Formats: sequence, C-alpha cells, structure tokens
Amino acid sequence: MAHGSGYFKTTYEADMALVDTRLRRLTLAALVVLLAALPRVASPFSLELVTQTALAAVGALALNVLTGLAGQISLGHAGFLCAGAFTVGILVESVKAPPLVTLPAAALVGALLGTLVGVPSLRLKGLYLALGTLAMHFVVLYAASEYQARWGFNTGVSVPAPTIAGIRFRSGLQWYYVLVAFAALTTLLSVNLTRSRVGRAWMAIRDREIAAASLGIAVARYKLLAFVASSVVTALAGAVWAYYRSFVSVEAFSFFVTIEFIAMIVIGGMGSTLGALLGASFVTLLPYGIDAVVGALAPGGAAPYWLFPLKFGAFGLLMALFLLFEPLGLVGIWRRARTWIVLWPLRYAPLRSAR
Amino acid sequence: MQAVAGVVVLASLYVLLGVGYVLVYRASRVLNLAQGDLMMVGGYALFAAVTTVSASPLIAVPLALAVGAAAGVVVYALLMRPMAGHPVFAAVLVTVSLGILLRVAVVLVYTDQARYPLPAMDLGNPPVRLPGGAAVSTLDALTVISAAALLAGLLAFLRLSRLGIRMRAAAERPLLAAQRGIDFHALFALSWALASFAGALAGVLYASNVRLDPSLGILGLKAFAVALVGGLDSLGGLVAGALIVATVEVLTIRHVNPLLSDVSPFLCLLAMLLVRPWGLWGTREELERV
Amino acid sequence: MSLLDVRTIEVVYHRAATAVQGITLQVPAGRIVTLLGPNGAGKTTTLRAISGFLDADDARVTDGDVIFDGEAVTGWLPHRLVRRGLVLVPEREKIFETLTVMENLQACRRGGDLDAIFTYFPQLAGRRRQLAGYLSGGERQMLALGGALLCQPRLLLVDELSLGLAPIVVRTLMEAVRRLRDELGLTILLVEQNAAAALEIADHGYVIENGRIVHEGAAADLLAHEDVREFYLGGARSRAGRTYRDVKQYRRRRRWFA
Repeated sequence: MAHGSGYFKTTYEADMALVDTRLRRLTLAALVVLLAALPRVASPFSLELVTQTALAAVGALALNVLTGLAGQISLGHAGFLCAGAFTVGILVESVKAPPLVTLPAAALVGALLGTLVGVPSLRLKGLYLALGTLAMHFVVLYAASEYQARWGFNTGVSVPAPTIAGIRFRSGLQWYYVLVAFAALTTLLSVNLTRSRVGRAWMAIRDREIAAASLGIAVARYKLLAFVASSVVTALAGAVWAYYRSFVSVEAFSFFVTIEFIAMIVIGGMGSTLGALLGASFVTLLPYGIDAVVGALAPGGAAPYWLFPLKFGAFGLLMALFLLFEPLGLVGIWRRARTWIVLWPLRYAPLRSAR
Repeated sequence: MQAVAGVVVLASLYVLLGVGYVLVYRASRVLNLAQGDLMMVGGYALFAAVTTVSASPLIAVPLALAVGAAAGVVVYALLMRPMAGHPVFAAVLVTVSLGILLRVAVVLVYTDQARYPLPAMDLGNPPVRLPGGAAVSTLDALTVISAAALLAGLLAFLRLSRLGIRMRAAAERPLLAAQRGIDFHALFALSWALASFAGALAGVLYASNVRLDPSLGILGLKAFAVALVGGLDSLGGLVAGALIVATVEVLTIRHVNPLLSDVSPFLCLLAMLLVRPWGLWGTREELERV
Repeated sequence: MSLLDVRTIEVVYHRAATAVQGITLQVPAGRIVTLLGPNGAGKTTTLRAISGFLDADDARVTDGDVIFDGEAVTGWLPHRLVRRGLVLVPEREKIFETLTVMENLQACRRGGDLDAIFTYFPQLAGRRRQLAGYLSGGERQMLALGGALLCQPRLLLVDELSLGLAPIVVRTLMEAVRRLRDELGLTILLVEQNAAAALEIADHGYVIENGRIVHEGAAADLLAHEDVREFYLGGARSRAGRTYRDVKQYRRRRRWFA
C-alpha cells in the first residue's frame, strides 16, 4: 500500500504479510521466474555478473542493517569480510577443514569481532565510532598480512572448491544458484529484521538514542546486537567469497572495498533493503558498463592505460553526485516518483486543515 | 639522539597534516578524508610548477602553495557548501569521493610513476649536523621550522584577531554567526584554504624530501589518527598527539617490526578511543555533537 | 509605510509539507509588533522566512513577498539581510558558548558601542571575561540581545524572548525591549507564546494558528478580546469553563470566517 494513498490495513494478516499488494506480488513472482530462467538464456558472462551482484548484495544488506537501520557508522566493513575470508583460508590451509566447519567458524569470528568493535560503540558516536572501526580494519589487515608473511603465502592463500553433501561447488552455474539463494535469504532476514521489534529498536536508537533509552529500549544490548548481526553476515559473505574466488589475499580487502560497500548503501538509499539491493547492483555493474561503453566506442585493441583510473573516477564522481543531489539514493527517486503519481495532479500534499 | 630527531621530524609532518584536519573539523565538523590527497596535489603542483613554469624554488614553491590554498576554496564552494544541512557522515563520504577524484586526476596526468621535484629544481638536500651527534636533512629541518611557525601563527590568529574570533564563532554556531551578519561561508572557505594550504606545504616538503607518487594520500590517513589522539578540535593537542604517535611509530620501526609500524598510529587511536575518546585536549562535548 | 511588509507568503518544507499559507503582516517603524500562537502554528517558520533561514531546514518560500524598507528581500542570504539592518535573535542556540562574553560581542560588532550594551544590561558587565556557556538563562538572553544590537539593527526579530525564564526575568527583559523601542527608536517583531507579557509592551498583535493569521489588532484590543483571552491569556471574564463543544464550534467558525 503506497505511502499516502489513504488506504489502510485492516487485519493483522494484512499487516504481517510480506508482500501486500497485487502489483508487488506480481513483481516478486516475475523476479523469481526471471532468476530461475536466467541460466537457460543468459551467457556465462552475464550469469557471472549476477552472481557477483548477489554476493555484493549480501555485504551491502549487512552494512545497511548496521549503518542504515541502527545508525552506527562503520568504516571497517572490509575488515569483517577479510576476517571471514581468512578464517576459511587459514582453516583450509592448516587443517583441511570442510565447509561445514569453516563457515560456522567464520560466523563465530565475525561475531567475536563484531562484539569487539561494538563495545566502543557504547561510548562513541558518529565520526568517532567510524574512526574506531577504521582502526579495527587496519589491525585486522595487519594480522592477515602478518599471517601471509609468516607462513610464506606472499601472494595469498588458495582455497580448493568446497564439497557439501557430496556436491563439489566449482561451476559458475552452481555458484549462481548458491549466491542468489544466499542473497535472497539475507534479503528476507533484512526485511524481517526491519519490521520486527529489533528493527524498530534499532531505528529508534538511530534517530535519538536518549529518547530510545527512555522508551525502555536496552540501547547497549541492541547496539551490540546490530554489530554482531551485521558482522556475522559480513564474515559469512567473506567466507563464501573465499570459496567462490578460491583464493584469499590481503590486497583484496583494502579500504577501498569499504568505500565501495558504503557507496552501495548511499547510492541505493540508506536504511532501505530495496536500496541496498539496487545500490549493490549499480556499484557492481558500473565498471562493466564502462567497459562496454569504451569497447563500443573504440572496438578492438588492448585496454588503454586510463581505463582503470577512469572506472575509479566514475565511481568517485557518481558517489559525490548522489551525496550532493540525491542523498536518499535510488530509493529516494523511486519514492518521489511514487508520491508524484499518488498525488497527481496536486503538487504538494495540501495544508493540514484545522481539526 | 638520532631517534629523537626522527620523532620530531615525523611529528612535524603529522602536525602540518593534522592542522588541516583540525581546521576543517572545527569549521564544519567534517573529517576531511581527502586531506592526504590534497597534500599529494600540493606536491604535484610543485612538480608541475617546476617543470612548466620555472625551476626556481622561489617561484615554484609559492605557486604550489597558492594552488593548494585555492584548491581548498574550490573544494569548499563546490562540494562542502552544498552539503550544509546534510548529515556529517555524508559530507565525510563526499571528501572520500574527492580523494578518489584527485588521485584519478593525478594518475591520468602524471601516471603512477614516482617523481622527484628536488633534482628538477637543481637543489640538493645536504644533512644538517645537530648538537648531540644527530643529523637530519635540510628539508627535515625546514619541516620542523614550518610546522612550528604555522602552528604559532594560527594560534595567534584565532586568539587575537577579530577575524579569528569570528572564525571560532562561526565554527561553533554557523547559523547564529549568520544571524550576526558574519558571512560564515567566506570564513569556512578560509578555513578550507588554510587547511589545504597546510596540506600543500606538507606535500611540497615531503615530495622534495622523499618522493612523489599518487599513493601519498595514505600518510593523510595516519595523520588523522594524530589529530584524534590530540583532540579533533584542538590545535594545541595536535603537538602532543603528533609526538606520541611519532614516538610509537619510530620505536616500532626500530625495535619491533616495520609492518607493525604502519598500523601503530591506528593502535594509538584505538587506545585513545577506549580511554579518552575526545582526545587529549579535545572538548568532551564534541562526542555528543556528532 | 511599514518598515517590514510581509505579503501572503507560503512556506513549504521538504518540497512536500506546507507550513504557513497566506501570512500577511506589517511592522511599522518604531513600533513593537507581536506574533502570538500555540506550538506548531508557524510563528518560527514565518520568522525564518523573513530572516532568510529556511534553507538549512530544506524549506522554501513558494509564494508571496517579504518587503523590507521598500525592497523585496525574499530568499536573501541572512548575512546580507543583517547588513541591511534586519537582525534575528533566535529561540535556541543564541550565543557562542565557547567564546567569552566580550568575544561574543566582538564577533558580532559592526561599529556599535560596546559600553552601551553594558548600560542596558548591567548584569553582563561583571562577566566580561567569563565563557558565555556558564551564563544563566536570563543572562544568555541579554547577551543575545546585546550581540544583536551590535549589528546595528533597524528591525529586530525576537523569537520566544520569555522561553523557559522566571516571570521576574521575563519582566526585566520585556522592560529592556520596551526601552530599546523608546530610547533607540528600534522596530521590533516579537514572537511569543507568553501572550500576556508580550501584549503588555506591544503596540500591535497578530494571532497565528495552523499556518494562517486568525486575529489581528491593536495590543489593547487583543488583550480585551474574548477569544484571545479564552485561548491565550487563560480565563474568560464572563463565562468560566467552556465545554469541548464550544471550543469545537469556535474553531469551526474561525476556519470558515477568519
């Protein structure tokens, strides 16, 4: 039910339903059919793009829960990913641990790290917290590079394809299904968190901590919970990333990765699940889009040296433009369009009359 | 003795960079994550001036510094002013984008090879003997001197001059300042110009002393740890913060592990956040404000 | 010819919500005019629209004009308005807390006489070197007025002079405002919730509700007006204790006819 439409939900069933209008049900069904049918029609390359987008979406959703919902700014997202990936790398390398061991272990490491970073958040706010998480990022990266240097994996640790229940995950198609399912589950989790007591508590804390506390919300507990929930999912994403790429190296988790994830939720729209998904797709596909454009303009020949800085620059420029001109992100554009349609032919909602 | 000299030199570099963080933070509560990249731009401006305008440092250095200060004004007018009224974090992200764009611009023009402006100016960098047996390079000594001069000048300006008082007033409450007829946009632009000037000064000195390449911006990230340890809104705290962080860094290089030394500013930062999150001389209320 | 002439302005927040609509008011030179109304009526929005402070809240004047001294100043930047002599004393955040009292006054100064401020507000004189953050509520208000006076205003806009202050302090401040008019010939637009105190010193008054002006008149007439007494001054002369229905009818009447 669109915002401002004047229609209200009248039963608890309607209020609990995940998808509430016929249009949304149709959209969702179409999306499921599309994702299921895609492997039959799409090229391996575009399948690979969707797979990457799905993985990015998991990370973006996790960051969105922490920053968008609970309002805790984190510049350490790449650190959490790195921790998850290296947990897998180290366990596989040293004891040949199976995925059923490494994945829970990665989640556990994520939870521990989340608690560690979350504790300062009880005292720190805003920028100060962001700086704390950034410091954590550098410390995790240092630990990982120390591991690499100490054990002689200077370029990185390789991770063989995992086997679960006798199935060896190695083909692009398999990974497509696994990661799309992973992203779908995370989306469901994120949607349900948003509309549950926990999500409401987070939003209350985000908007005004003192007011939230005076409403009886245990601020400290929910803040920690936000960090733990986000970092567990992120570390899992890192672990799956390690298997998917079959290679782990510190270089892959630079500060820039954090920026990319933040850009996803900024461009998509802070605090919105749909926004995180849109942003993840946008940021993941942007470099390939630029490749396609450049390829179409100058066919053939090796990629010019300025292609990489160009992609990098386009990303920075887009992020700045969104922050300056559309701070609510893609979702903001969509919502405005929706309000415009609902209100048409009026321009503004009329003045509230004297009751 | 050599170690002490090393600490002082490194601390001076951090002070030059940190001044930028503090000024911008006081003006707009924004942590300028592009400060390191502005420093790099200062270095490249020197290199550009030397190669295209004149090889004489008397012309090239002021030119580079002027470019640095102008860059600050442009950044404020183009990026920061429109961000007024948006959440602070969004403005911080804009500075991240700015850093990316600056780096890209430099790579597109100068590629990512290291450059050396000093030989291009036909100057040497002879060591200076200090009492006590230590020796530093001429540019090291210059770094220390300019950091001290800049800091003293800024402190006097903010305490004593009418413009400085207005700048502090505008930093505390921009809206009220406007209600009192103070054009706070002009003052904030001045803050950015001063910050970016300090960054360019650091860039000119570092580029001449060591080298110039697009990854110079990383130094800026370390310097923000310095600014926070001293207290983000305190110029005086900066000196203490810089000395602490530089000492820890030099000691880890000498006695522990060079890999760890790169992380040591962040360890100092974490320790400070746990004990006294507002920094040595910072205002406690700042924590509530952001 | 009024010094300030506000003509049917409409203000819209976030490109979506209308806050005030069709506000028209005049402030003649050398007079105190007061703008009364309950919380959320649009008093502060009107004041911000006049003084150019809507941008920060993502609001805009979408219709109408603000004429100051014969010149349309709608949408001007605040510091430019101040140079013309239109100065606002805001409701909150009205002093620089990290500066001393002297520095507060110096920051604002555009040529006015510092000592004159201390003669109007002798309480401040003893606290010159103190940080403004340590002042009491009344002293803050005095410092804010003093700072505004040093901008050499011709029209002073004062938002909620009495907010959160003890009655005795309110009386002192109101007295000071009256002296500013009588001795300096200042024109003052006073936004107040404390209608009784404001009407004491004002020459003229407007009552604003739900973004529209519902009453206006000379201060003495407003003080005597039945409805104003009922809703803003507390306690009617004739019939004590109106019912909910009376109030509802009153509101309906006002909506249709005011």
